[in-house]
Amino acid sequence: MSDTSFPDAPRADAQDKVRGALRYAADDARPGMAHAALAVAAVARGTVWRIDAAAARAVPGVRLVLTHEDLGGVKPPGFIMGGGYGFQSIQPLTSPQVAYRGQPIALVVADSPEAAAEGARLVRADLAAEPHQVTLDTPEADIVAQADSPLPKPMFADVTVGDAAAALADAAIRIEAEFRHPAQHQSPIEMLSTVAEWRDGHLTVQEGTQNAEAIRHGLARQLEIEPARITVLSPSAGGGFGQKNSLQAHTVLAAEAARRLERPVKLVVSRAQVFHGGSFRPASRHRIRLGADAEGRMTALVHETDSQTSRHDLFPTQYTELSSRLYGIGNFRGRERLVRNDVQTPGYMRAPYEHPAAFAVESCVDELAYRLGRDPVALRLANDAAADPVTGRPYSSRHLAECLRRGAARFGWERRSMAPGSMRAADGALVGWGVAIGAYKAATAPAVARLRLLDDGTVTLGVGGHEMGQGMRTAIAAVLQRRLGVDPGRITVEIGSTGATPQHLTAGSWGTATVVPATDEACDALLRALDALPASRTPAERLRAAGRAFLEVEVSRRAPGQPEAVIGRLATGLPAAAGPAYPEFVSFSHVAHFVEVRVEPTTCRIRVPRIVSVADCGRVVSPRTAASQLRGGVVWGIGAALREVSEVDPRHGGFLNADLAEYVLPVHADIGTIEVEFVDEPDPRLNRPGVKGLGEVAMVGVAPAIANAVHHATGKRLRSLPIRVEDLL
Amino acid sequence: MDRTPDEPSDTPGAVSRRPLMIGAALAAAPLAPPGIAAPARAQDAGDGRLRVNLTVNGEARQLSLDPRASLLDTLREGLALTGAKKGCDHGQCGACTVHLDGRRVASCLTLAVQADGRAVTTIEGVAREDDELHPMQQAFIDHDALQCGYCTPGQIMAAIALVREGRAGSAEEIREYMSGNLCRCGAYAGILAAIQDAAPKMRGA
Repeated sequence: MSDTSFPDAPRADAQDKVRGALRYAADDARPGMAHAALAVAAVARGTVWRIDAAAARAVPGVRLVLTHEDLGGVKPPGFIMGGGYGFQSIQPLTSPQVAYRGQPIALVVADSPEAAAEGARLVRADLAAEPHQVTLDTPEADIVAQADSPLPKPMFADVTVGDAAAALADAAIRIEAEFRHPAQHQSPIEMLSTVAEWRDGHLTVQEGTQNAEAIRHGLARQLEIEPARITVLSPSAGGGFGQKNSLQAHTVLAAEAARRLERPVKLVVSRAQVFHGGSFRPASRHRIRLGADAEGRMTALVHETDSQTSRHDLFPTQYTELSSRLYGIGNFRGRERLVRNDVQTPGYMRAPYEHPAAFAVESCVDELAYRLGRDPVALRLANDAAADPVTGRPYSSRHLAECLRRGAARFGWERRSMAPGSMRAADGALVGWGVAIGAYKAATAPAVARLRLLDDGTVTLGVGGHEMGQGMRTAIAAVLQRRLGVDPGRITVEIGSTGATPQHLTAGSWGTATVVPATDEACDALLRALDALPASRTPAERLRAAGRAFLEVEVSRRAPGQPEAVIGRLATGLPAAAGPAYPEFVSFSHVAHFVEVRVEPTTCRIRVPRIVSVADCGRVVSPRTAASQLRGGVVWGIGAALREVSEVDPRHGGFLNADLAEYVLPVHADIGTIEVEFVDEPDPRLNRPGVKGLGEVAMVGVAPAIANAVHHATGKRLRSLPIRVEDLL
Repeated sequence: MDRTPDEPSDTPGAVSRRPLMIGAALAAAPLAPPGIAAPARAQDAGDGRLRVNLTVNGEARQLSLDPRASLLDTLREGLALTGAKKGCDHGQCGACTVHLDGRRVASCLTLAVQADGRAVTTIEGVAREDDELHPMQQAFIDHDALQCGYCTPGQIMAAIALVREGRAGSAEEIREYMSGNLCRCGAYAGILAAIQDAAPKMRGA
């Protein structure tokens, strides 16, 4: 099926989305629904020594108030990176301890959202504050070398290749620089929200998530009941971007309230509270030392990082997975450290490590090009890798050079003059053209796919995956249409809800490379089963001719090299993905971004009128949604480079700009032309359809391309994001 | 508790809101004067609730409301019209955009009682079930002007209003007057193309 490109097709759920008919979790509006609201701590660290909910309980319509004094019995969920299910290990309301500003201290449940909100405002708490720290500038005692930590190895060991120190000493040219990346928040427009309901001892949870199985198994652990007594429904999430990748802290509170009230409870975490109620991209600091010979061959790279974690968990980092493998550099040394802060545990946000790492490395590579007087595209092409520098294994596919060449041609790169400040627009604006590349592991998760054909010709495919806007339903439908010749209108895709097939975490850009090959193999199995039936024109006619009402097949698929035992992890809601290093090869998606910025000379306002991005994500199964996903990743890069920062005041803790007016996301007026293109070469070594991932690589490299363009326009090297007007004044 | 992070307005050291957002918010909130008068018309039902008469998607509805209830919560929780979405509850994201007497408003910042005697149109009223799609809805599909779809009803309601306001003259104007509607998935290029496609069809209709 990988022989030819897939045709353009509309998004599978677009009709429902434009009609406002698609149901997200909080769209369950029924008579009898109770509404919940959270009260949160106003100190950065401390202890609740008295909590008074009398006023809250007296509000007409308030039915229940839960605090640490009455929650009782609920167990912690365990940390998702430590064998558990939660975005962090601690469960608010199970003790008087407050680990971070904004931590929930009470849940108020009422007949209406208005009464619940009023009640939550009236919860009075006396807190004993303790000293706290919320920045990377902390005492040494709070810095943990990841290599010496209990985090599992070799996954979280420091990466070492060759002898970077010696190669650096021998280098003709050395670039040294430190980069800073702020904390940022994923901010999907659908806020964290849950509807919980018990019927006959069975708990049903509706929540937009990337990981329904973790919610199910995590709640089972927290409530000490069998997972079989829990169903999690998440057919569609209103964006995830990593924040919804695990069991959230509010979910068990809604479930417990619903159990006590014996009615459904809806808890929509307020936007301000989402900034403290879920994970975020940790602030990080990157020290780079890059060495090259006089001809511009990069010979050594040292990448040392410090990244925020919480006091209660070690959120591991893998910044050097990108930096060690982006080019064919023979000598590399990475060192990753975690800095303990009094914050909720940080987590994954689109291209969690790769985007900050690429900002650091690709800024230095641009600087190297200027030291050499060498065109930045030519320098990158000259340093492309022939094999994976860390393992020595071949890449399953690598079309980075093709991305660079196509992008340069489409952008008109040959018209660029090298000298900073040498290009001007007709209106006097400084014009800067910048380039950068990105990579992201092509990972794969195990999956079970169940395919059913009915004698009326309709097809239902169930598989482990979550639709959060990336277009998974559309990609699955494209495969079914091609393999079985069935019209999109006769296809039902069942993903995101527990109960049928196990629902593995959808993250890390492994969604398509997980569900498309599994769907493809399910089609093989169905076609084999059909072969046993009398010949006829269509599959449905064969069924009818055989007197069969339906035909169902199930296949189980693992990533290359994964043992059978991984299916057990899949079934219990634990992360079980593999990659980028497989036994025979190493797999990455790649991208090249070409950016034009214009800097208004008096105000120094930076605009991004034009970007060209070319990606290699293997075979593109759903061209229309893939193009949107690539453009969306570019928008994220613009936001990360020029807008987004979660502001911190060391005196207060927490995040100051906890709303969508002051946490500045890119808006329509920020976005110019974004032209995207795909290499669209299948990678059949990774899987037969030849698909790799796209959602995250789309963002990687945008920020350094913008920073490099700003340098080209102004001559200024800016190493701290976001880049703001004041940096250019 | 003196202050919680749920009250960000007086946050120390807060960064300033962009003029862009303010401009968009002003453009999106032309309802104020009649809205102020509205509660006087709403009748007290005697239990602290107010009786109001709304026309929602062409249908007359009499409701007994908590005076604090937002139009958004009333539509969603009271009338089960869940097309309008809650993305911030502070008028900052635009996901809750509906039309009040034909003009776009943030329904989360509009008290339901302000809509007494007025006509509300939500995404469900743009094209009824099984009806042909509005040209703007079709254009959103054709240009894939959405991803997760959560902000989409608000984007479409804002886009339809923008064309009627005569603000679809250029790409720059569309971008400016759509900037009160955030799309975190980053479907902005598609939304722009959809509006440019649908605007002449709407004018011709």
